[in-house]
Amino acid sequence: MESDLVVRAQHGDKGAYSLIAADVADRFLAVARRILRDLDLAEDATQQALLAIWQDLPRLRDPARFEAWSYRILVHACYTEGRKHRTWAPNLRILPSDEPVADDELRSVVDRDELERGFRRLSIDHRTVVVLHHFLDLPLDRVAEILGVPTGTAHSRLHYAMRALRAALDAETRPTTTREVAQ
Amino acid sequence: MSADRDTTRIVRSWLRTDEHESADRVLDTVLALLDATPQRRSWWPARRIVPMNAYAKLAIVIAVVAVVAVAGVSLFSANNRLGGIGGPAATPSTPPASATVAPTPLPTASPTPSAASSPAAAESGWTTGPLATGPHHAQIELCDPRGPRFGCAPDKVAFSFDLPSDQWSSRYEGILEVGTFPDSYAWMWFMGPVHTVGTDPCAGKASSITPTVDGLAQALTTINGTDAVGPTDITVGGIPGKLVELTIHDDIPCAITDFYYLGDVSIHPNAIGSTIRLRIIDVNGSPMVVYSDQTNAELEPQIEHVVDSIRFD
Repeated sequence: MESDLVVRAQHGDKGAYSLIAADVADRFLAVARRILRDLDLAEDATQQALLAIWQDLPRLRDPARFEAWSYRILVHACYTEGRKHRTWAPNLRILPSDEPVADDELRSVVDRDELERGFRRLSIDHRTVVVLHHFLDLPLDRVAEILGVPTGTAHSRLHYAMRALRAALDAETRPTTTREVAQ
Repeated sequence: MSADRDTTRIVRSWLRTDEHESADRVLDTVLALLDATPQRRSWWPARRIVPMNAYAKLAIVIAVVAVVAVAGVSLFSANNRLGGIGGPAATPSTPPASATVAPTPLPTASPTPSAASSPAAAESGWTTGPLATGPHHAQIELCDPRGPRFGCAPDKVAFSFDLPSDQWSSRYEGILEVGTFPDSYAWMWFMGPVHTVGTDPCAGKASSITPTVDGLAQALTTINGTDAVGPTDITVGGIPGKLVELTIHDDIPCAITDFYYLGDVSIHPNAIGSTIRLRIIDVNGSPMVVYSDQTNAELEPQIEHVVDSIRFD
């Protein structure tokens, strides 16, 4: 994000902010959706974040830090949405198909199903760290800065989350579960 | 398969396999709301690209003086018209008469320029954004915490309440927040009739209840994974009701974010150590819940101040 655009928006230039919002909106929605696992909530969080950023832009001391600052607002909006609502998510199961399915394809589908379940079981704190680190490719010190936690806490959350996701995948490899899914 | 490296690869791949989302709809809405969304000005100057010249500085000084003068006249005029509402002399026991005040949040004497509300908030009788210390007025629809489609009180409820500090804010109608999540955070929610209460939240089990004061108060004492104190008799805004205080067991077999104890799609506690209070009263024949959830006991006096200050029109 160009700093001069941010500075212009800080001074109330709506045109400049429109360019900023257009630049970040898709990415914000993608991040929010991955954290919240729900498109409606993600859209609400994105909207709240974009409006909050506009409102608070004059309070951003260093325009060069816009990205981290704006992600912090987005994450806060996700936390708020996550606490406020929960929409029903269908309890997806893999159904048998008439078409023969290659082992790798089935493995991939099963992985996605189990990951979705495992991910939903994580707290929003843990989901956020996973998304910021593994989806946005942010280093953990940046993740910690965005979340306002020590870097060690970000490490700890990521470790816990990945351990839980690995357990979810491992559970699927057990013979009984595999049979249930494949039936 | 389950090595860390493989797990990381699978997770990264999974995160990237979702369909591409377009935020065009959100963006259109945001841009349409910009005109009605004032920026919050800081007390320090934002960085500038070019240094200001002397004329610009002079123009700013003149503009500031003019704004201060206009604001002063407006405040003076508002205080005369509303009998000093929002000022430090106002007390919770003397709520404004709704007949003389529009059903919008009361103007306040806050020196900060940040408490402006959006037109949508004004229409709904609720202020969003940072909230000033002092009295506020609300006229809102009270609904089931799962959303309006699950049932609302037949009529909007008009009431006033007092905020003891300028640390409060609101993002949504009927919801107040204070502090920093998660260590020192609280939120309050003015809810309407609650139609379901979790029986075993971690297992996703809930049961329908009779949406009455006694029905809800009794059901709240039966939630698996919680300890309940009450129901005890209380009054809120002069109306008798019931208080139930809940604490969450620290060994619940699910994440706190999955512990939906007011039905299957509503709210979960802030944290294991949260103190949750539900004050249930009957307003115009329909139950109203003054809900609070705090993670730090230091916030309790502020919450109780708000509850004690509630007055109905």
